[in-house]
Amino acid sequence: MLEMQGVTAGYDGVPVLRDVSVNVARGELVGLLGANNAGKSTLINVVSGTVPIMSGRLMFEGEDISKTSAQDRVELGLVQVPEGRLVFPQMSVRENLLLGGYNRKARPARAGNMDHVISLFPRLGERLGQLAGTLSGGEQQMVAIGRGMMAGARVLMLDEPSLGLSPLFVQFIFEIIDKLHAEGMTILLVEQNLSLTVRHADRCYVLERGVVAVEGASAAVAEDPRTRAAYLGM
Amino acid sequence: MDELLQALVQGFFVGSAYGLLALGMGLVYGVSGIVNFAHGDFVSLGMYLCFAFFTAFALDPYVSVVFTVPIMIALGALVYRFLIKPIAGRQLLMVIQLTLGVALLIQNGLMMVFGGQPTRAPSMIESKLFLVGDVVIRGAHLVACVVSFALAILLYVMLQSTDTGRAIRAVQQEPRAAALMGVDVGRVQVMTFAIGVGVLAIAAALLLPGLPIQPTQGLRFTVITLLVFVLGGMTNFVAIMLGGIVIGVAEAIGTIYMTHTLGQLLPYLIFVAIMLFRPQGLVWRS
Repeated sequence: MLEMQGVTAGYDGVPVLRDVSVNVARGELVGLLGANNAGKSTLINVVSGTVPIMSGRLMFEGEDISKTSAQDRVELGLVQVPEGRLVFPQMSVRENLLLGGYNRKARPARAGNMDHVISLFPRLGERLGQLAGTLSGGEQQMVAIGRGMMAGARVLMLDEPSLGLSPLFVQFIFEIIDKLHAEGMTILLVEQNLSLTVRHADRCYVLERGVVAVEGASAAVAEDPRTRAAYLGM
Repeated sequence: MDELLQALVQGFFVGSAYGLLALGMGLVYGVSGIVNFAHGDFVSLGMYLCFAFFTAFALDPYVSVVFTVPIMIALGALVYRFLIKPIAGRQLLMVIQLTLGVALLIQNGLMMVFGGQPTRAPSMIESKLFLVGDVVIRGAHLVACVVSFALAILLYVMLQSTDTGRAIRAVQQEPRAAALMGVDVGRVQVMTFAIGVGVLAIAAALLLPGLPIQPTQGLRFTVITLLVFVLGGMTNFVAIMLGGIVIGVAEAIGTIYMTHTLGQLLPYLIFVAIMLFRPQGLVWRS
């Protein structure tokens, strides 16, 4: 469904990713692992269109979208839930979700998507009128994921959703990810947490300093000695 | 007593138009982080556009607003797109210098086209007066007040409950997330600047009746707008309208009770006093 073919990309002409190939099949939950600065966030920003591609191609459902604008990619259903959640603090939960459904394609489906989000996160349903800035970190993560779902995500890219959350919330967020996966959502999950990710993902990629060091089924990646080496920077 | 009431009423009416001026500035500041020092000169330009329509077609300013608003919106969009956007996000001082440059351009452009003599664009209602009790109400002031509040409410509702308004606030609060949700941040910034300038075209027509205009008057409007804008805590709509009224009333009281020069100073004195004790502006919520 989503295919990155030999992509080199970075900021101001300095490549962060070098010749990276990653593919995600429909309905798959793919983990993207690696230490800090391995290029994980850059990779999903390349998919979102906020970091330009220097060479290589990005394919979505058989079409080259390397030159497609970031807005149009959201409309296609490539939706990122950014690291640090980045909710709109002075807007209510409801407004945050409505803004998620801002793009032209998602607008007609907003009511239905809103019901779906609230059924996944009943807690948000109770707090629709509350300003998002006053929520706890875990609740903000729910808003951020809900907002991404409202955008009509067909590939949901989650950037470190467990970052800074209490263990209880981390577990809850991963349950939600499993649930979305079970509903057939295609998910690209960026995580630093190796053991948690390999337990939930179908397949994993391990990035090390901008290149793919290990890839394969989660269990195999977990046991591969190169995975550990990539994390330790050896 | 009658004089005081007169000053309060007049100040309230004119102040609401000042509030409208500052709303335009607040809108732009919130979205782009830019304080436009050519603000008052855009007002000035709006007034001269009305004057031009009056001399060419004998149109009343209240009528020619139908043309001046779209002209100013287009101009605002062009100025933002080609002058401000290329340097937005760089040094704050650069943007300030740029908008000051635009101010000088407008001033001297007006001077070239219309000459330096003060002039006027008369309106049919500028001599209309109403007597309520002992208070004289000028028709033009009444129109200014009603239209300003109506526009302020319209803007507020637009920001609060339309998709466009939510997109504007989203760009204000978290531009990166807004972009990831499919909002074209650049377009929203151009649009808000254009709306901000378009509002000035309306404010210009509201302030015009009875007022002699000259090309260098822009700075005065910029300064008034800045006072109101800062008093209102920069982005709070209700507080900005309130700030407008405070400055308007101060001006009216100064004009009625004090000698000319001292009276003109009063709004600034009150501004300094408020800033000393409430540096966060007239916002009551922390």
